[in-house]
Amino acid sequence: MKTEEQRATIADSAAGLPTEAQAAENRGGIVSPHAIPAEPGRAKTRPLPASVLTPPPPAPSPRLDDYRDIIGQAQVDALRFLARDLKGKSIKMVNSTAVGGGVAEMLNRLVPLLSELEVPTHWDVITGGNDFFEVTKAFHNALHGSSYELTKSAQEIFLMYNEQNRERLQFEEEMVVIHDPQPVGLIRSRDKTPAGWVWRCHIDLSNPDARVWEFLRPFVEQYDAAIFSSQSFARQLPIPQYLFYPCIDPLSEKNKELPDSVVQKVCDDFGIDRSRPIVTQVSRFDRLKDPVGVVHGYKLAKKYVDCQLVLAGGGASDDPEGAVVLQEVKEAAGNDPDIIILDLPPWCAFEINAIQRASTIVVQKSLKEGFGLTVTEALWKGKPTIAGAVGGIPNQIIHQLTGVLVHSVEGCAFQIRYLLTHPDFAKRIGASGREHVKENFLMTTNVKRWLLLFRILEEAKARGTAR
Amino acid sequence: MAMADEHPVRKPNKPFYFNTSENLLRIGRQKATNVSELWQALQTCPDDSIFQHTFRTLQEHHFIRQGFSNDFAHWCLSACNEPVLAEQLASVDVREFTDIEGLRRRMVGIVNEFLQQHPQSGTKPAHEPFYFCAASIVVLPTQFAPDTLPGFVDGLRHVSLHSIHHHFIEARLRLHQMSNDFSNWLEQEVGLTQAAESIERIDIYTNTMEGVRHQIATIVEQALN
Repeated sequence: MKTEEQRATIADSAAGLPTEAQAAENRGGIVSPHAIPAEPGRAKTRPLPASVLTPPPPAPSPRLDDYRDIIGQAQVDALRFLARDLKGKSIKMVNSTAVGGGVAEMLNRLVPLLSELEVPTHWDVITGGNDFFEVTKAFHNALHGSSYELTKSAQEIFLMYNEQNRERLQFEEEMVVIHDPQPVGLIRSRDKTPAGWVWRCHIDLSNPDARVWEFLRPFVEQYDAAIFSSQSFARQLPIPQYLFYPCIDPLSEKNKELPDSVVQKVCDDFGIDRSRPIVTQVSRFDRLKDPVGVVHGYKLAKKYVDCQLVLAGGGASDDPEGAVVLQEVKEAAGNDPDIIILDLPPWCAFEINAIQRASTIVVQKSLKEGFGLTVTEALWKGKPTIAGAVGGIPNQIIHQLTGVLVHSVEGCAFQIRYLLTHPDFAKRIGASGREHVKENFLMTTNVKRWLLLFRILEEAKARGTAR
Repeated sequence: MAMADEHPVRKPNKPFYFNTSENLLRIGRQKATNVSELWQALQTCPDDSIFQHTFRTLQEHHFIRQGFSNDFAHWCLSACNEPVLAEQLASVDVREFTDIEGLRRRMVGIVNEFLQQHPQSGTKPAHEPFYFCAASIVVLPTQFAPDTLPGFVDGLRHVSLHSIHHHFIEARLRLHQMSNDFSNWLEQEVGLTQAAESIERIDIYTNTMEGVRHQIATIVEQALN
């Protein structure tokens, strides 16, 4: 979240927006706190409208029946039937942060929906000092493959805070779900409760630092089950491992339906011309998202087809590396007036929604990716989507059926040309992409998976086959 | 499409209970990084893994009309670049089988024959591994339990696609018959034999599941009229 100082900086910049004449000359002043003077041959970020300069108030949580028009009454009924046998039984979810990040965002929706289905779900957050979170951040990077020297001190800090939280928290529910490695040590409480314990891993464990994994593995193996977001993220474990794809909420600001007039206004605010094809990538300014590659791909395609490129990202304001990548993008974009670079604050979900909906094609040319929820968002909006064949993206994009997968700048360029010149095919894969999301990657499917898992664990307990 | 049946339509003796099935995906222990490993794992993986990658994947991808028959075929094409093998595997119609073991033998046989003819393809590394998964299934009731034909059609049009899949595709594994729940009920309870046969002949591989639903409903409505 932005500090007050940063928000003030953005607001001040907005107040100092160039005049209309200057804007016409420059094709946009620079509002980002990392604004640089205009230079010949270097693109600029578009000015941000005042509406995005402060975070909007949080929207109320939807109720289950609000999803009826999306998933159908039959699927709503299935959720109620699934929950029926679990009524009165409760769940505890534990993670490391109440705000910020995908897990908290997901739990904000999941917990009320489960509780509405009369499966009371309680959400606890572990506490810890800066030393604990530094250690767990280092663990996070190491589990993603970075090299790390696992010291005795780090282990002791990790264990100490897990023990403190274990003593503080109560575990009276029938199912306890521990999210990610930070609280994994809480499993030491399992013998005090009859609950089924589940470890939900949201990160990519396909190539972890061996020492960190060997330190954490004995905890994980004590759980009744583990959950991963992709088959490739899983490890060889002596416990059942389930596949829960990440999901989007179709009723959130990022994904809800928008009237065309609203989409038009957002495009007008950002200077995006809807009368011409729009190719969009929504991502942090991060080299792993390859925004420079997208610019090159666009330029190759532009030799054959007319289009605009929108790079809507963020992170340049609060990430030094992001600022560097943004400059690289601007240099690659050069003077092309059809390349629109938007450095957005993190709360612009509504604007992102509108930009995605206005787009003719969405690109996610990642070089490395977790699951890739920006792809899910684009597919949900029925947009023909071109994406790098990395991480969890191939789970979402079945090549030429629900989108197209690419492996290079040239491949991306060709697919842009092809989709813009074959609108029927583009429409077909866009429609299939949406159905794929509807079947597999919506919040309601996530609710269903949790209910199914809870039932399976309860049945195992009843049979006496639980661990 | 159904012709008029020879026998008059009778009131069903028993209602048709529309159920549905919901599935939780388990990540298995086995994976294949080339066609040879696929062949080996096909022989030893659990039955519910074969079920997941052949029967259940049709539900996961119910909206696709072409180019996706089962996960094994798809992987051979997209990750191994073996279109011949992919086509051969894709040609397997799961509805020819009333038990998983028969389906497994067919798949193993196809891959084995391919490897005999193309031994160099066996160890060529795939772009990405094939992860054997399995489905844990829970069967649930629905609110539809019609005891009339119009009620049956109404149920057909309103149940989820998971329910259609459960009764039309998975049923033969439950029944151990070359049939499905809809055809069985129409024939045994209502006397609509030809409609039952027409429904059984619907091609699931060139239709979406929504298209299959529509065809079934249309066949029954025509028989009613």
